[in-house]
This record gives sequence, structure tokens and C-alpha cells, in this order.
Amino acid sequence: MTKQQISQEHLSRRLLRKTLNGPGVSFALFWIGTLVICAVFAPFLANSMPLMMSKEGEISFPILRYLRTEDVAVLAAFFTIILLWVIPIKFKFRVNLALVVAVLAAVVVLANLYLKPPQLVIYDNFRTAAYTEVDWRVMPPIPYAPQDYLRSYGGTGLEAPLAAEADQQARIHLMGTEENGADVLSRMIHASRIALSIGIVATSISMILGIIIGGFMGYFSGIVDMLGMRLVEIFEAIPTLFLLLTFVAFFGSSLYMMMVIIGVTSWSGYARYIRAEFLKLRRQDYVQAAVAAGLPLRSILFRHMLPNGVAPLLVAASFGVASAILAEATLSFLGLGLVDDPSWGQMLNQSVTSANFNWWMAVFPGGAIFLTVFAYTLIGEAFRDAIDPNLSRAAGVQ
Amino acid sequence: MPASLLAISNLSTYLNNGTELVKAVDGVSFTINKGETFCLVGESGSGKSITALSVIRLLPYGIASHPSGKILFNHQDLLQVDEASLRSIRGSQIAMIFQEPMTSLNPVFTIGDQIMEALQLHHPEMTAEAAQERAIQALEQVQMPNSRARMQDFPHQLSGGQRQRVMIAMALACEPELLIADEPTTALDVTVQAEILRLMRHLQTTTGMSMLFITHDFGVVAQMAHQVGVMQRGKLVEVGLVEQVLNRPQHPYTHQLLEAVPENLARHKNPNLAKPLSEKHLIAEPLVQLRHVNVWFPIKKGVFRHVVDHNKAVDDVSLDIAKGQIVALVGESGCGKTTLGRAILQLEKPTSGSIKLQGSELVGLSAREMRPWRAKMQMVFQDPQSSLNPRLLIETTLTEPMKIHGIGRSHEERLVLAGQALERMQLKPEHLWRYPHEFSGGQRQRIGLARALVLNPEFVVCDEITSALDVSVQAEILQLLLDLRAERDLTLLFITHNIGVVEYLSDQTVVMYKGRIVELGPTAAVCGSPQQDYTKKLLAAVPRLSLKL
Repeated sequence: MTKQQISQEHLSRRLLRKTLNGPGVSFALFWIGTLVICAVFAPFLANSMPLMMSKEGEISFPILRYLRTEDVAVLAAFFTIILLWVIPIKFKFRVNLALVVAVLAAVVVLANLYLKPPQLVIYDNFRTAAYTEVDWRVMPPIPYAPQDYLRSYGGTGLEAPLAAEADQQARIHLMGTEENGADVLSRMIHASRIALSIGIVATSISMILGIIIGGFMGYFSGIVDMLGMRLVEIFEAIPTLFLLLTFVAFFGSSLYMMMVIIGVTSWSGYARYIRAEFLKLRRQDYVQAAVAAGLPLRSILFRHMLPNGVAPLLVAASFGVASAILAEATLSFLGLGLVDDPSWGQMLNQSVTSANFNWWMAVFPGGAIFLTVFAYTLIGEAFRDAIDPNLSRAAGVQ
Repeated sequence: MPASLLAISNLSTYLNNGTELVKAVDGVSFTINKGETFCLVGESGSGKSITALSVIRLLPYGIASHPSGKILFNHQDLLQVDEASLRSIRGSQIAMIFQEPMTSLNPVFTIGDQIMEALQLHHPEMTAEAAQERAIQALEQVQMPNSRARMQDFPHQLSGGQRQRVMIAMALACEPELLIADEPTTALDVTVQAEILRLMRHLQTTTGMSMLFITHDFGVVAQMAHQVGVMQRGKLVEVGLVEQVLNRPQHPYTHQLLEAVPENLARHKNPNLAKPLSEKHLIAEPLVQLRHVNVWFPIKKGVFRHVVDHNKAVDDVSLDIAKGQIVALVGESGCGKTTLGRAILQLEKPTSGSIKLQGSELVGLSAREMRPWRAKMQMVFQDPQSSLNPRLLIETTLTEPMKIHGIGRSHEERLVLAGQALERMQLKPEHLWRYPHEFSGGQRQRIGLARALVLNPEFVVCDEITSALDVSVQAEILQLLLDLRAERDLTLLFITHNIGVVEYLSDQTVVMYKGRIVELGPTAAVCGSPQQDYTKKLLAAVPRLSLKL
């Protein structure tokens, strides 16, 4: 009876459960989970202002005053999705609601970005008497904001990890400081937002486009295929990096624009994969049987064909995530990336451009990029194995 | 007493697949005399090919081991000789031909190059001219027309039968003493098979070589063998002269295999199941009515892909199928029988013509208009490997079409119906919760039948559904089809190339050749007294169990 219970669950849920049981996935999930926590709670983990303080008997939360709309939207989306997971409703309904919330959050962030100018914060103010001479206060675990260049201390640039503490100063920089004097760990934490979002959003956009266009090309073939392939060739002729450079030059640099451009220009590879798979699968007897049974096109394409043809796509996608992160890093390297917001790529480039080799500037962001790409690859492989019942049964995963 | 060429005694071959040891061949002993043919018969997985590969020592090291046994070839134990002397024996003294003529020739070399390469490998002293002459001679030996010109041809320019001839020529060029043939005619049409078998018999009498002939077809055994060995699960259960084994089998397994051959099934057929056309059926409108159906595939050429010609897969076919009938559609590969079956189900758009089901025109309907008709006609496919979606549970495969067509009010009810359908196919309802790869080929075909029947169709197209199965499994499936027809008044279009199955199963027979219907009529009439030349040729080519004298 247990077998029946398990098998009656929704297809996507079964895939999810099997993926989570895959080899190495617990490590990958741990790392991605850490990144998610860092990204969502970044302002609370690393910031210059107190989380909570009591001055003359009056309790205040300075950090809440300086939260940006972006931060609020990300937090709200995170908690809503957690809530949806906990409350007992239908699984399919849950997935759909989670998607709606994620899209809403993205819309709020985008709208805010273009409607409101960014708030200017002078971080050195938080080290003045107004914030220090209090009854008691709770500081974030890393009491430095990523754009806090610690000017009030003077000459804090390029200190090795824990060097300031060894100097008997009242500062602890677990990963040292960068050339402008900002704390590297704080910048690492805030940069995880960019790393997570640019990889996932850009790859999702290109995968959705690729699957839909490639799927129709492969299934209908003929004239649809011919037109689709010409479209693919047109998009393959566009060099993503130069398009990005052009857009940055004209419209200034924006993370969201980069995501969309990387996504819209890199779907052609996915479309090719899916087209080739679908051309092959279309002649398979079980697809013909599905057509003969009068199943709707949606079911034929997405239930009978896509799961059998998606394996090469997932491997490509895990590299797609990596290359999106690297594309952003490249732009930053050319000085056309995000100006003030920290990103791992930009930090790596700082280590390259500085005169002498400061190992902490290379090891921490480089290691983070490596681990993230590695984790995505592990999850991609586990997902591929989960889709293939031959492999998952053989591996003892039910 | 003829001299023995190959004497195998107590041969065992174990295969180690990493986790377990499979006793693929288990204590097999037999001898092949000079100039004789020894046929190894058995169902798939019985170890007959492994025995042959053990003789020529082609099994990979590390995976295969021979814990016991001797293979004496000309009094030399092949299990003891080293790799270098083995190489000199392979090809020159023992040659082998394989089942699949499509893949056993290298597509980038001409056939002349390939025969000459084999020759010069074993006779390094041979000059290029001499090798060429010998190659041409070998092609003539296998009765390849225009053999000198054929030397320059590439494998893709030859038909399947011609390729198999080239393979035999390659094997014979070095004048081996023993030819191992592993199902050499299984992939070929019956008429071609008959030619190749005749050729091999002829070559044996002229060259005096011995043959180890592996097959699953008792008809072929009856034509080829001097001695027969029957294998079951790695063991040789019966060995003997062909007359003795086929006419008076000693072992129960041999008996059972012979019983399952369609030709013998037909002899024991229950007369109650064979239902003559009743008056009612004759007067009523035919269930399926085809009028001048054409399915043409355009051949495009040039930069602008203009249509230069058509490949007429189905050419002006008109056919009536009455309700409750089993109509067999026979023909060789490429004659358009599968395309016709697919066209009736609207899986292939007919170029022109009319296809009516229960009096309603199906040609030209949109996918949406077609949907209600889909449930009334279903198809069961040939290849058990690809006929079920490997990513879906059997439960999903069976219940999804039911849901679309509104059969069963709830998911639970549909599960019960699907379970019943599996039980009808002699499977268990628990099998709903398994994936296709957990089933054998015969079980998959039963599931494919269940998938077609859960929709309660009127008309089912069975496309070679038993051709990939062993005879005993085939016999069970055929029996099941007859029972189902009697139960549900089901109408079947049974596409096959196996005349034995046709005689056993069908009421009406339709013979197709090059896209056209050559002959049609009641099975007894078509198979008993064929009118057309092609039908006569086809029937004559079928290897029969009754022995040549």
C-alpha cells in the first residue's frame, strides 16, 4: 500500500522528492540555502546601523528606517513562500501561488527601481554619538554595510583578514577589507543576491523561451521548424556581451536589464536541444499512442515528450547559470557593471587590478563562484537522474 | 562416421555484470561434423548467441569467463590458444555473419574494399589484383548480379538482402571451414530470406564447409539443419537429428516450443473462436471503409526544395472492414502496410481519398473534431521498448486517456478500471505502480493492449505486435486477441509479415505490395489457393515446419 501512496503523488512533487534524495544534493542544497538566507536577510546580517537600540529609555529600530523597498519585497516574498509551504493546501495550488508571489515581488522591485531614486545613506553617521552613546544596542553580526568605506577610521584599505584586530583596533574584518576600505565579508553577503538572482532569472527566461520555441519547432516541424531555425540563427548571431555593452552605454548599468538581455539572447541553445530531442521523440511509439488516444497537445508536449527530452537541457542549464554569473563578472571587469553594488565578479576583478596579490580578495569571491556553480551542477545532475526512473530505482531511491 | 570439425564438451560461459554472475551457458556439449549444419534454437536469452561467441572467443575479457569446458576445433582447444593464433583462426578458419546487415558493414568504404581488406589480412602474400579477383569471385559465389561493378558500391546503395550477401561473401572469401551464422535472416523479408537460405545451402554443398546456425525460427531449422540443439536458460535440453527433434521431440520444452509455432497453433485452433461472417455483419455497413486512399511522401530536391517526385507509400487503396472481423494485412517491409494502418488512425495525413469509420468521414477533420473518434480506434505498436513512455507509471499511461475521454467518474474509479484491464491481460493490478522498464517485452505488449482497450475501442490496429516476441509469448498474445475478439466483438487490423500468424488468427487477408493491394479475400482462400503471382511467391518463400525430403 505504501508504494501506491507514494505513486499517487503529483508528478512534479515526486520529481522534487527524488531530486532531494540524489547524491551530493544535500551539500548543494546547504550551500544554495546559505546563499538564500544571506540574500534574503543581507541587510540584517551585515549593516552599519544597529538592529535595535535604547536611547533614554526609548527603544528604536534604526535598521527598519533604512530598509529599501527591494529588501522589503524580497523579505515579504520569502515569508509568503515559507507560509505557503507550511499551510495544508493542494500541492499544485501551492506551486502556482508561490510563482505568483515571486512574480509580484519581482514587479514591486522593478517598479520601485524606476520610480524612486536610490536613498543616499552616510554610513559614518552611525558611528557618531547619536548612535553610539545609548543605553544598549544590538548590532548586526557583521557591523559594516557593503558600501561603508569606514572613512571615519581612515586608511582601512586592503587589510588582510583579522589584521585590524591584531593591531589592537576595535574592528574585526573576518575576510579583510577591499581597496576602498569596505568589509569583504559584508560585500560577499550582499553580492549573493546578485549571484543568485542573475543566474536563476536569466537562465529561467532563456529556458522558458527555448523550451517553448524549440518544442513547437520539433513537434510541428515543416514550416514552423524552418522559421524557428532562422530565428535561432538570428539570435545566435547576436553577441550577448556586445549587446550588453551597448545597452549599458546607452541606458546605464542595471542588474535587471542584464538579466533580461542575457536571458533573451541565450535561449537559442536550449531551443536547439529541445528541437532535436522532440524531432526524435515525435516518432516514438508512445508519443504516437498519445496522439492516437486523443490527448491534448499540452499533455503530449509537456508530459509525454518534455520529461524524456529534458536531460541534455538540464546539463546545459547548469552551465547557463554559471555563464550568466560570469557574464555579469565580465561586465564588472570592464568597468561597466554595477557601480557601487558589490558583486563577486567585481570583487575578483579588484584583486586582479590591484598592484600586489591580496589573496583574500581572490579566494573568497572566487571560492563562492566555484561553489555556486558546483552546487547548481550537482542539483542539475540529481534532477536528471530523478527524471529517469531506470537510474533512480537502481540507486535505491524510490 | 563423418569426421567431426568442432567438438564442444561441457562448455560453461559465465558473465559477470559487476553485481552478479550470470550462467549464460551452462554445461553445453555438442559436435559439428564436416560439411554439416548444426542449428541452435531457443528463445531470446537462452544463451545461443553466447555459445557462438564463446566458440569464436569474441566475448570481452573480464566480463566473460569459462570455468569449464573444451572447444576442440580440428583437435585444437580454442579456450587454450593465445590471442595471436586465435586471430589467425578467426576469419580464415572460422567466419561469422551477424543478424543486422545494416550495421555490420562499414558505411564509408566500398564493399570491394571491405572484402579485400579481410582477404589481405589473412593472406598478406596476396597482391591487390589477386585479392580483387578473389573478391569478385566471392561476390559471384553469393550470386550477386553484376558483381564486378558492385565492388565500387557503398553499403547504403545495397538492399538488406544484398548486404547480407556481401557479408556472406566476406565470410566466404577466406574459405573458412566453419561458418557461424547468428540469426542471419531474421532482419530480412521472407522472400529474401528464402533466397539467402537457398544460397547458403548451395554454398555448403559446393564448398563443403560446416555451419553453426543460430535461429529462433523452427521453419528455418527445418530447411537448414542436419542436427538441432534446443537451448533453454543456458542449457542444451535436446540434441538430435532434425527429423527426430521436429517430429518426435523428447524434452517437454522442445514440445512446448513446437506447439507454440503459429503453424502448429493453426492446426489445434479451437473452431468456436473462428467466427464466420454472420448475415447481420454482411448486410450492415462496414465499420471501416477506405476509398482510393493515397499517402504520398514528396521527394524534394534542389535549393528551393521543389517536389520532384512522390514516394507512394500507399497507392489507391480501397478496403472494407466489417465489424467483428480480424483482417490481416501482409506484405514485405516497405510495402506501406504500417503507413496504411497509421493513415486509418489519422496519425498520417492521407494525400487524398476517403476514410470512413461507422459511416463518418475522418479525412480532413481537425484535431479537435477528431478527438471523439480517437477513443473508437486505437493502435498497438510493434516495438515493446518504445511503445510505453519510460518516464510515466503504468497507472498514468492507462488513466490519462480515460480521463480525457470521460471514462470513469473519478480517479479512483479509473484506477479500478485500469486494474481490471491489466487483469484481463493476465497482469496484476499492482503493476499499475511500476515503470515500463520493470516489465519484459511480452508484458509490455500486454500493457500496450490494455492501453488501447481501456478506451473501449471498436477498431484496433495491431502493428506487428508479436514480431519482437518469442514464439511461446507470441502464442499467448494471439490467444488473448482471439478471446478479446470473441468477448467484445472487437474489429482488428493485424499488420504482420508472418504468414503462420495470419493463417492462425485472421478471417480476411489483404496482401500489399509496393503500396497497392494485390489480393484480398478470406484467409483460407488467399493462403490456400492464391490467385496472384506475388502472393504465390510470398507463400512459397515461407519456411515451413514440414521437412523437405
